[in-house]
Amino acid sequence: MNPRGRRQYLALLRKDLRLEFRTRETVVAMGLFSLVIIILFEFTIGERVGNTAPIAGGIIWSTLALGAVLGVGRTWVPEREQRVLDAILIAPVSRLVMMSARTTALVIYLLGVQVVVVPLAVVFFVNGTSAVNLLLIAGVCVLADLCIGIMGALLASMSVFSRTRELVLPVLLLPSLIPVVITAGGATDAVLSPSRQMAEYRGYCLFLAVYAVIFALVAYATFDYILDD
Amino acid sequence: MTADDGALVDARGVVRSFGGRRAVDGVDLCVRPGERVAVVGPNGAGKTTLLRILATLLRPEAGTLTIAGAAIPKQSQAAREHIGYLGHDPMVYLDLTAQQNLELFCDLYGVPDAPERIAAALSRVGLVARTHDPVRTFSRGMAQRLGIARLTLHAPRLLLLDEPYTGLDTQGTRILDELLGGLGGREAIVVVTHELDRALELAGEVVVMRRGRVAARVGTAGVGLDRFRTDYQELTA
Amino acid sequence: MTDPAARRVLVLGVLTAVLTATGIIGLFLVAPEDSGEGQIQRIFYFHVSIALVSLLAFGVAFVAGAMYLRSQREWWDDVVFISVRLGLVLAVLTVITGSIWAKAAWGTWWIWSDPRLATYTLVILLYSAYFVLRSSAEGSRQARFSAVYAIIAFVSVPISFYAVRVAQSVVHPVVFTSSGAAMPHSMLIWFVVALAAMTALFFLLLQVELMQHRAQRALREVKLRLERG
Repeated sequence: MNPRGRRQYLALLRKDLRLEFRTRETVVAMGLFSLVIIILFEFTIGERVGNTAPIAGGIIWSTLALGAVLGVGRTWVPEREQRVLDAILIAPVSRLVMMSARTTALVIYLLGVQVVVVPLAVVFFVNGTSAVNLLLIAGVCVLADLCIGIMGALLASMSVFSRTRELVLPVLLLPSLIPVVITAGGATDAVLSPSRQMAEYRGYCLFLAVYAVIFALVAYATFDYILDD
Repeated sequence: MTADDGALVDARGVVRSFGGRRAVDGVDLCVRPGERVAVVGPNGAGKTTLLRILATLLRPEAGTLTIAGAAIPKQSQAAREHIGYLGHDPMVYLDLTAQQNLELFCDLYGVPDAPERIAAALSRVGLVARTHDPVRTFSRGMAQRLGIARLTLHAPRLLLLDEPYTGLDTQGTRILDELLGGLGGREAIVVVTHELDRALELAGEVVVMRRGRVAARVGTAGVGLDRFRTDYQELTA
Repeated sequence: MTDPAARRVLVLGVLTAVLTATGIIGLFLVAPEDSGEGQIQRIFYFHVSIALVSLLAFGVAFVAGAMYLRSQREWWDDVVFISVRLGLVLAVLTVITGSIWAKAAWGTWWIWSDPRLATYTLVILLYSAYFVLRSSAEGSRQARFSAVYAIIAFVSVPISFYAVRVAQSVVHPVVFTSSGAAMPHSMLIWFVVALAAMTALFFLLLQVELMQHRAQRALREVKLRLERG
């Protein structure tokens, strides 16, 4: 990215974070929604199976993926008010910069939610764990969030220009995220299992990194055809 | 016709359709620096679509379009440096302050000496006292004035205005008049309006559109409003 | 028969008819009965060839999507749309025939532990979303978004397959040898015929529908010209 592009990227990202910091709409809604789903899982599944430790990873990542849909759905929402979108699209900003800033903002929102939700879920489902394990899970979060952020920015930009907007997004986004959820859940379970499975963990993280790269390539090849009409 | 290198807008046979209906159907338009063109016509004549094509918001399906020497859509980014677009909405973020909004657009346009430009723009539109207030607390007229400030930040050479006077309060109208009146021979204006008197007053040339096509081009020099109105009604009937 | 499209339909039609007839006679009457599974094993010829042609259809949609984005020619959009629709029908048939086969061979309608069946279920979800997006997008965006999504979805297919397989290898080891590998020659021949017949049928249907789309477009143009006078 050239200096001009970097200035634009930082300006767009700062704008998103400022808007979020002022209204706190997205992160709070995502966090509360995730907690509700965790409670749902606990009482529909956890209470029945007794020991939830072996399925904690799957529950955590299903929850986070569902919560992510809310945040991804907020993409371009402030721009729809007052037709700001026109002003942004008319500015001489490369669409790659726009999508990168959008993706980064999404990753930051997701991490903001996970900082609270993941430790809580770990307490609920496996009765707590070590700090090292939490750090290992943080690594999974970063990789999985990259996947969600890239796919999310791409698909949300399509749904925002569609007639039924928020209705389309979950149907578009969740099937593409299923592999990410499966893999991130596996990595989390590998960490949380009584004898930490580092080889498995590394394998899963490698998969997540590969998904992120593939998603990024697909996004790079197609985003040019999405924003402009 | 040959290519006009100095022109800010050079459109040849531009076409754009929506769902099989041609909203803009083969429009030629050439605007040189210093010229002011008003586009008038009944509802659905394709005025706004034409303006959005010139603003690089819509790609033409057929025909060629050059904005400030840059071919659209290939060199849209280069063209966008020179375009200023004002619609009936202020096009600013409601949850950012006036200052933050203008900072954002300075960064997007790579404006040097941003703080000075922002201060000057805010004082021009009379919003200095509200610099650090979120736009949500502004009246509609004030937000619209902030929109004018945004328009001037990067000193665009081609101003594209879509019904710019709707939603403006009297102060805003005066400010916009001053701004447009103060433009020199470097800049050009294309304004879409349904008010014929405004069109006559603002523009040197009026383009009358009907069903996506240019029905007539009228030079405004020495033309009275009454005669123009009769001609217009005949053309668009 | 001066129209090349009509000639292609004729050639493909004859080819499909011959291959289908040969295939049906061959796989029901000539191919040997499976020593282990008996008559029901003959569904394998349908099941596997339908599954492979469904992937072929999605592959065609992927290529056509990329071609559409490059050329913006409506014809490629038609190819994407028709291929995804045919591919989706075939994917549903794959799951149905697979389920019937599972009932006969393993005594159960559904087993998640078969990675191919599970992947096809995901694929059906992925490509159903295509139609949701398509009906929601408007104007020139419809074709562009459809093309972009056809690309995204096709890239997601192998990722989904891999993720499903990885998820299962943790719970129970996946048997990597499939029934296809150890096929006797007498079965392989009729499988190839069935696959060829299904492929020919796909291209025939594609061609017929393309002609129909072309006719519709021509009709619309005529209407438009009449309206304009």
